[in-house]
Amino acid sequence: MAIVRVFVDGRQVEVAAGATLLDAVRAAGLALPTLCHDDRLTTVASCRTCLVDVAGRDPAAACSTPAVDGVHIAVADSRGLRREALQAIVAGLPPRALDVPVDRSELARQCADYGVVAPAGSPRPPERGVDHSHPYVKLDRDLCIACGRCVRACAEIQGTFALTLVGRGSATVVAPGTGGPWAESDCVSCGACVDTCPTGALSEPGLLLNLLPIERQTLTTCGYCGVGCSLEVSTRDNAIMTVRPATDLSVNRGHACVKGRFAHGFLGSSDRPTGPLIRKNGTLTPASWEEATSYVAAKLGEVRAEDPDGFALISSARATNEENYLAQKFARAVMGTNNVDNCARLCHAPSAAGLAATFGLGGGTNPFDDLDRCDAILLVGANPTAAHPVVGSRIFQRVMEGARLVVVDPRRTSLARHADVHLRPQPGTNVAVFNGLAHLLVREGLVDDDFLNTHTSGYEELLGLLGDYPPDRVAEISGVPAEDLVRAALMYGQALAPAIFYGLGVTEHLHGTDGVRTLSNLALLRGAVGPGSGGGVNPLRGQNNVQGASDMGALPDLLPGYQKVSDPKARSRFAVAWRTSIPPRPGLRIPQMFAAARGGSLKALWVIGEDVLTTDPNSTAVRAALAACPLVICNDLFLSPTAAAADVVFPVAAWLEKDGTFVNFDRRFQRVREAVAPPGGARTDFAVLVDVAARMGADLGCATPAEAMAECAIVAPLFGGISHPRLDKDGPLHWPCVSAASPGTPRLYQDRFATPDGLAHLAARPYLPPGEQCDAEFPFLLITGRRGEHYNSGSMTRRTDNLHLLTEETVDVEPGDASALGLSEGDYVQLDSRHGTAVLRVRITDEVEPGQVFAGFHFPGATVNSLTSSLADEATGCPEYKVTAVRVAVRP
Amino acid sequence: MHEPCEGRSDSVSEGHAEQTNDDPFLRYAARFDRPIGDVRNMLRPPGAVPAAIARALGLPAAAVQGPASFFSDFSAQRGARHVRVCTAAACFAATAGAHVAEVEAALGVETGRRTADGSVSIQAVRCLGYCFAGPAALDGDQACAGADLASQLRGESPPEAPPIPVHNDSPVPVVTAGLVGTAQPWSVWPGVLASGAPHEILGQVESARLRGRGGAGFSAAAKWRAALEHPGPRVVVANGDEGDPGSYADRLLMEQDPHRVLEGLALACFAVGAATGIVFVRSEYPRAAARLREALLEARAAGFLGPETGGKGFSLEIQVVEGAGSYVSGEETALLNGLEGLRGVVRPRPPFPTGRGLHGRPTVVNNVETLSALPWIVQHGGAAYAALGTPEETGTVLVCLSERFRRPGAYEVQIGTPLRRIVEELGGGLRGGATLRSLQIGGPLGGFVGPDDLDVPLSNAALSRRNAALGHAGIVAFDDRLSGRQVLGNLWDFAAAESCGQCSPCRVGTWRGSALSERPDDPEIRRERGEVLRTMAAGSLCAFGRRVPAAVRSLARVYSLDGWQS
Repeated sequence: MAIVRVFVDGRQVEVAAGATLLDAVRAAGLALPTLCHDDRLTTVASCRTCLVDVAGRDPAAACSTPAVDGVHIAVADSRGLRREALQAIVAGLPPRALDVPVDRSELARQCADYGVVAPAGSPRPPERGVDHSHPYVKLDRDLCIACGRCVRACAEIQGTFALTLVGRGSATVVAPGTGGPWAESDCVSCGACVDTCPTGALSEPGLLLNLLPIERQTLTTCGYCGVGCSLEVSTRDNAIMTVRPATDLSVNRGHACVKGRFAHGFLGSSDRPTGPLIRKNGTLTPASWEEATSYVAAKLGEVRAEDPDGFALISSARATNEENYLAQKFARAVMGTNNVDNCARLCHAPSAAGLAATFGLGGGTNPFDDLDRCDAILLVGANPTAAHPVVGSRIFQRVMEGARLVVVDPRRTSLARHADVHLRPQPGTNVAVFNGLAHLLVREGLVDDDFLNTHTSGYEELLGLLGDYPPDRVAEISGVPAEDLVRAALMYGQALAPAIFYGLGVTEHLHGTDGVRTLSNLALLRGAVGPGSGGGVNPLRGQNNVQGASDMGALPDLLPGYQKVSDPKARSRFAVAWRTSIPPRPGLRIPQMFAAARGGSLKALWVIGEDVLTTDPNSTAVRAALAACPLVICNDLFLSPTAAAADVVFPVAAWLEKDGTFVNFDRRFQRVREAVAPPGGARTDFAVLVDVAARMGADLGCATPAEAMAECAIVAPLFGGISHPRLDKDGPLHWPCVSAASPGTPRLYQDRFATPDGLAHLAARPYLPPGEQCDAEFPFLLITGRRGEHYNSGSMTRRTDNLHLLTEETVDVEPGDASALGLSEGDYVQLDSRHGTAVLRVRITDEVEPGQVFAGFHFPGATVNSLTSSLADEATGCPEYKVTAVRVAVRP
Repeated sequence: MHEPCEGRSDSVSEGHAEQTNDDPFLRYAARFDRPIGDVRNMLRPPGAVPAAIARALGLPAAAVQGPASFFSDFSAQRGARHVRVCTAAACFAATAGAHVAEVEAALGVETGRRTADGSVSIQAVRCLGYCFAGPAALDGDQACAGADLASQLRGESPPEAPPIPVHNDSPVPVVTAGLVGTAQPWSVWPGVLASGAPHEILGQVESARLRGRGGAGFSAAAKWRAALEHPGPRVVVANGDEGDPGSYADRLLMEQDPHRVLEGLALACFAVGAATGIVFVRSEYPRAAARLREALLEARAAGFLGPETGGKGFSLEIQVVEGAGSYVSGEETALLNGLEGLRGVVRPRPPFPTGRGLHGRPTVVNNVETLSALPWIVQHGGAAYAALGTPEETGTVLVCLSERFRRPGAYEVQIGTPLRRIVEELGGGLRGGATLRSLQIGGPLGGFVGPDDLDVPLSNAALSRRNAALGHAGIVAFDDRLSGRQVLGNLWDFAAAESCGQCSPCRVGTWRGSALSERPDDPEIRRERGEVLRTMAAGSLCAFGRRVPAAVRSLARVYSLDGWQS
């Protein structure tokens, strides 16, 4: 790369061609005020506070002026220019602009540095007022300097384009593009505008008024979705002042969403239980920790004595790796059963199974950062804009940069609206669509023969099957027009480096594992995964640590690090380490646990951090299982419906209150650190497990999360190089990381796949119809999914101001359907399925297709999962959440 | 308004070619194929709802709300009868501003308001190009001008829209060749198409040493060459956003000789290999836009424009685009933002429009008067043009004299003509024997000279030695009925009302200057005034903010005003 020499105050520095004078100044170790500039955003050079003297010409704004070879600039001698430029800005602001604490205002910081104070008297700008309408974004128009950073952050980081500067001249000020109050705007509350605002014109309500300094900063990992954003938590007196996205080494690159950034108010919710509860005479009654843990230890001792398989444990994809490791160790080593599972069963079990069968390992194939070099994106059955917002933003920005986007989703999601091709298959017909696309890749000569010959098996068999999936037939099955299939296949097939991202719209089906496998076929045919180019095949994991829960062996058939329970060598490794024998028979999956409970064979069920009554399908059957099981233990932050139905409740710590690690969706081990101490009555899941085990006379062997991770590294070769000290020192590590010398493995497959023969296995799987079918009685098809404002059961987000952003669940109905049914926006309707009933308000939107309706499941009162069926993926037991036949009727 | 000097455009760094600083809304529209350029026209009907337009075009609401609130044509309250009344320098000089109150009384509504029943509204605008006959207003698209403006608007006397008096004082008429002489439009274009070569046109313009007449005086040939360095397709924009109060030369040419403007534009397009030409006309000149559109149809019908024009393989499409009420839209980058459907604010440069202009294409923006000289130059040769004017500043300029003169009107003069000749002989001094107190030359970015400064040639070089500038060569005379503070207040009001608000020095400085001009002089106020002038001049993004301080200082000098000269 060409180098340019710049003389900064006489000192020569070298910068790359194309760099600006600002880059050169920074290369010289100097800084300039840059109030309108954010390195992540385009340059507008409007604040004029970075002016420097340039030899032979007028002073120039350093941020926008290209560095030309040999140019001399004077930084020290031009300080007066910048001081006056700052003064000129301050003159247009009320004096209180400089009262904002300097750790919360770039303007105040620069003015302090340059000795600029508020003008004593003189003309005062007219007041423009404050917009208080939004719970997380306060707009103080009088502090706005019209730098437009917020407008560009909203567009260029988040991708929502909700903001604009309005007015002109001195009246110029930021405003939501919809014109009215902020709360009613297109704002998705990601906080990017607040984070980049240099003056506090946009701020988190209350933060600027608290003049006390921040006491402590804790770098941790977000506990909401599986993206794994790094967050910097500012605290004072064990209370959170603000949470800001971290930049360095982070998957989120300084961005976050309404959940991670703002939704932490639940920590202080007044309805957090203050101590354990034990059901006595039918009523949950307060008990001491000693009483509760002793009670559980005694009861579990009895179960163990009678039949270890009478115990089952649902571990938590919300908890840390270390807690999951301990939970499965408790089940296996203390109780002597493999009856341990986690909620990956309900979402991405087909991914683990399908990806492992295809490629050898059950994780996404590529690091998320590979997105930056992709020229086409195939996004299937996922709405990351709402469910994985930072991923949604990154994909959108990549598409803005020119990458082609193909979306396969029955719903017209935000990304679908920006897709080059949007395929809207009838839910349950994914396999036909993927086979149809594969057919077209072959027909159009877009397969990579060299790659197929070298790195795959099963091509001949697949070819035989694909003959049955010409576009016309696929169109008939799926409802996707044949020409759209062709366009999509060409777009994916002709790209140099295409990437696949997918979500639960692929997995949560009767044939979800087939969906994962036939989707993976596309990347293999194209040579766009592993040793080939391209961005691979990447599931968007739902929960913060759903990857880690499975990695840690909270699965009935797999030990930590994906070692098979059925493998005697693996068992003996654990037997040595744990000084006990490992039961050889795989345990029960979650749905089987409930069945066993209803059948009377399950005597004790421990549910850690999951509200199965709200989030598992067919709630009626789940309730029957809990009722039938003699002892249900529940760890939760709150008295969730599941906790309320339990016999013992342990109040536990939240992600901001504990120490450990999470693994995010691209297999990144990241540290979780205690930002605030848990409230007095709560303990970590880790401490509860250690205590109960101890009272049962067992030593789990790890006193701290760091020790648990160290032990896991010994027994699970995949994680051999992972340790807390190393993560603290070096930052996140992608598994596999087999030794302390390994740098981790962002790209899962380099030269070969991880199957025994080193080949990826193409899958010839035919399309089979979904389990739930609409008929005259149940003519509508219900899809369930997430809304951006809330998270899963909503137990955390509903206890924050996110509740003001979305106050209740709705059912989305297509406008034509709504008018045929005589429905108006906000009407209550009753939804009936073959399994249950729910009553919801109607939201009329073109996001859904005619004949389909959509609902989230974030509000337990909405009982959406009483509608869903017990049908499940035949390979993995993952429920068919995405397809439920319902009828919609105005509430009588 | 003045186009900022592009003196460094030849040294534009190529290093930033990859990293685009294009507006994100523009990139959004380009990537997702949304017609953001339609936003401005969809906002024109009174009552247009930005959110509905956004939905219709598939754009974020913000993409429409931004421009809707920026351009005064859209942000103004508009009634069934919408009257735009001029408050700029020449009309202000005519009445000391009294006409505004008279119009308000006549129509029964305040400026900036609409009557409760929605029947009438008044919008203050800055210059309608009737500086020779002010005060003026546009009643809908009907111009009215004259001392009895209020009674015209009341319907008591018929609307008067007097024609622009035009004279030639140059040895030969150049831009007024069609207006005062016998030169026919489109007389050189067929020959050029038949046997001309682009480099020959460029060569003639280069030897003519033609400079931009919009204000900055940048070499037209150098600008063309800068665009030619970049691969096509290229675009030429005829800048008819003649916002400088006091100047109506472009209006004259666009309304009275539109074919000359189009022929000049066609020649420029030919010279730089542009297949697209755009005439950008400010919305305050509705008749100019209408005349240009008529002329365009005629030119197309005559075969001068269109695909494969003249059978030589040169295709040229020209369109007329109207502004929406913003002085700064005369600045090249702001003009381009407006054309693209964005807020009409200034962009930082580099990149210069000649490298990366309209929709990323190399774009030449030439003023209407500049382009109007091209047919003559091509016909008579660059040397003939260079023989006019001064050795340093060749050619002629169309000087506009304001209503205070005995003989107001547009005069084509050689550059270098003594100011005294223009004021006293051509203009005949002030009407009614009034006493000349000052002349504002070149609009708000030009400067003021006093009655003792008339022995100066009308050239940029000579005027800048007196802290003034040629600008667009409008000359507004102020007589002694107006005080310096009143004139200063009008100047600052103009600046505050028209600052685009993009850069901080001008956004805050124009408001502050206006506020400080009303304060009594004291050392602290004086210090603040100095701060405003220094920061605007040093730091503003475009010529508007950078030049206003010089105009203020020259005014303060002429009127001996305290506290504005530092």
